[in-house]
Amino acid sequence: MTVLETLLMASVLSAVPLMLAAAGEAIGQRSGLLNLGVEGVMLAGALAGFVAVESSGSFVLGCGAGLLAGGVIGLLFGVAATRLAASQIVLGLGVALAGQGGTGFLFRERYGLNQPLLSSGMSRPFDHLDGVPVVGPMLFGQKWFVYVAWVAVLLMGLILRTSRVGLVLKATGDSPFAADAAGVSVTTVRILAAVVGQALAGLGGAALAIVEVGFFSPGMTVGIGFIAIAIAMLGRQDPLRIAALALAFGVLRGLGAALQLTSIDIRSEFLEMIPYVGVIMLVVVMGRRARLPASLGLAYHRGARGE
Amino acid sequence: MWFRRAFSVLACLGILVPMVVIAGTGVTAREAVDRVAIITPASRSNQGWDQQGVDTLVAVGEERGIEVEVVENAGYDDITPILRDLADDGVDLIICHAAGYQTVCPEFAASDGVPVVVTENPGAVAEGLVADVETQAQEVAYLAGVMAALETNTGTVAVVVSGEPPTWNYMTAGFAQGVADTDPGVEFLYSVIGEAAYDDAPNARRTTETVIAAGADIVFGMGDGATFGMIQAIREHNADAGDGEQVRFIDVIGDKSDSDAADLLLTSVLFDYTGAFSQFIDDLDAGTFGSVYTMNLENEGVRLLDPPIEVSEETMARVDEAAQGILDGEIEVPAISDAGELSDFLDALTEGAA
Repeated sequence: MTVLETLLMASVLSAVPLMLAAAGEAIGQRSGLLNLGVEGVMLAGALAGFVAVESSGSFVLGCGAGLLAGGVIGLLFGVAATRLAASQIVLGLGVALAGQGGTGFLFRERYGLNQPLLSSGMSRPFDHLDGVPVVGPMLFGQKWFVYVAWVAVLLMGLILRTSRVGLVLKATGDSPFAADAAGVSVTTVRILAAVVGQALAGLGGAALAIVEVGFFSPGMTVGIGFIAIAIAMLGRQDPLRIAALALAFGVLRGLGAALQLTSIDIRSEFLEMIPYVGVIMLVVVMGRRARLPASLGLAYHRGARGE
Repeated sequence: MWFRRAFSVLACLGILVPMVVIAGTGVTAREAVDRVAIITPASRSNQGWDQQGVDTLVAVGEERGIEVEVVENAGYDDITPILRDLADDGVDLIICHAAGYQTVCPEFAASDGVPVVVTENPGAVAEGLVADVETQAQEVAYLAGVMAALETNTGTVAVVVSGEPPTWNYMTAGFAQGVADTDPGVEFLYSVIGEAAYDDAPNARRTTETVIAAGADIVFGMGDGATFGMIQAIREHNADAGDGEQVRFIDVIGDKSDSDAADLLLTSVLFDYTGAFSQFIDDLDAGTFGSVYTMNLENEGVRLLDPPIEVSEETMARVDEAAQGILDGEIEVPAISDAGELSDFLDALTEGAA
């Protein structure tokens, strides 16, 4: 495989955890919930997924464990943010910190000072086609989960754009009073959005641990959860835009590693800046049209309008 | 009259002598060290820099009956509150186990009077307060470079680092020099994962995949927690390659020959802090604390791991020969700590090879 083929293939793979987490966050944001704790949710999903695969050998179970871990945190977050009307900012930061500390503690409790590694057992269903030059490995050399994740996010985008589910979600985020008047239970929708959204973030964490790197280590998300929040906002809570942005971020990050191997004499610090400068440029270009749901981060109190 | 003078002299001596004795014992008869703390920026289970430091101190503590307090995951922010807590707890010595603590720990020692050990900062050494440990691993990295140049099949070797701290830079320069001295025709690749990407395993994996794609079949990785990303990239490559070209890994600091990485490990530049930590505790007991301890090939503070996988006798003989050359002073290995100087050095080596 050439450097370019490796770069493209790795970019598609590395976009998956970011894309799933950002798409999950987008669902919550559409409903009016802002969860700053995606980093912690991803870590919880990563640990749950890793433990499940390490003990059972099943990647499907690992994905399920990641979904479950994220979903449970989403349920707690959703209930606290809606029924208890707790501050979403404080809750989110708490989830982030608890996720970082809690997963480190649990990992140490289970594995002590060992660092188990998973074998590369996940199959590649189309690898007989990856001989196609340049784009072959990127399109056909991926593990099965990568295809599932991309298809799931694209389908989710279509559903949110075209179905009543998407409309209801948007209404609860943009105008919860109108949604309530139309017979929609804002609290229920938001709790469900939190569960589904954070389950996806948990799945993103599991993907990082069991699909991308093949092990768990405390703090291994190294900021991906926070980047996911920014990408969800930049992508205007649209999974299709989010998928494109996650891929662009992955390509730009891989570009830094590839450029170091060329004869171009640039210090590594500048190359490391490439994806972030790229995101800033996207903010400048796309930020003008970016809009957030009107009630994002605000608790909904029935009958409180105008008070 | 003479009686009164003699009495006055004796009285003065009677006061002065005990004062001198008391003052003297105050310096030399410091209570024995019974509690030592170590602060690490990352997890003590990363099988790298942090774990090696903690494990060694715990072993030294058990051997000497000293209580060891471990503060891990302290990060690279201001650790003054942690230092203050440890001082309040009454520890006798604090080992600040990161180059990133070079400034804060000497400042704390000066203000609070608690002795500290710093890393790679000999200029901060102060009598009774600050000692320094230097990990001059470039000599052993040179030997790893000799081995890599002789063992590569593709003619390309790579260094992947999780940052550019002095410790990594020393080893990169030594390794590159070892490769160039052994076979100038071997292509040398150098890739930095990030500025302080010590735990960035996903990025480490991508970076390693890139250097493998560029032809490297031996990767010298310095990463701490990120190292496992490199190892996984190589494991996956080797599994996919089947009977094809296998990539081998050269590790640093800890011994992974009993881990899942054993089958791809060519060798490792091992660090052993036992001598350094023991020396500092002895110095503190003796009232002579405040020295620089250099871990090097000669005192076996750093050494090369015997290859867990098969390496030719000829290669091992060349490595032994190079080791003797270093000990005899016939081979001089550059000690480069600064990232800018390292970049210039690697450019010069590449141009020389061309």
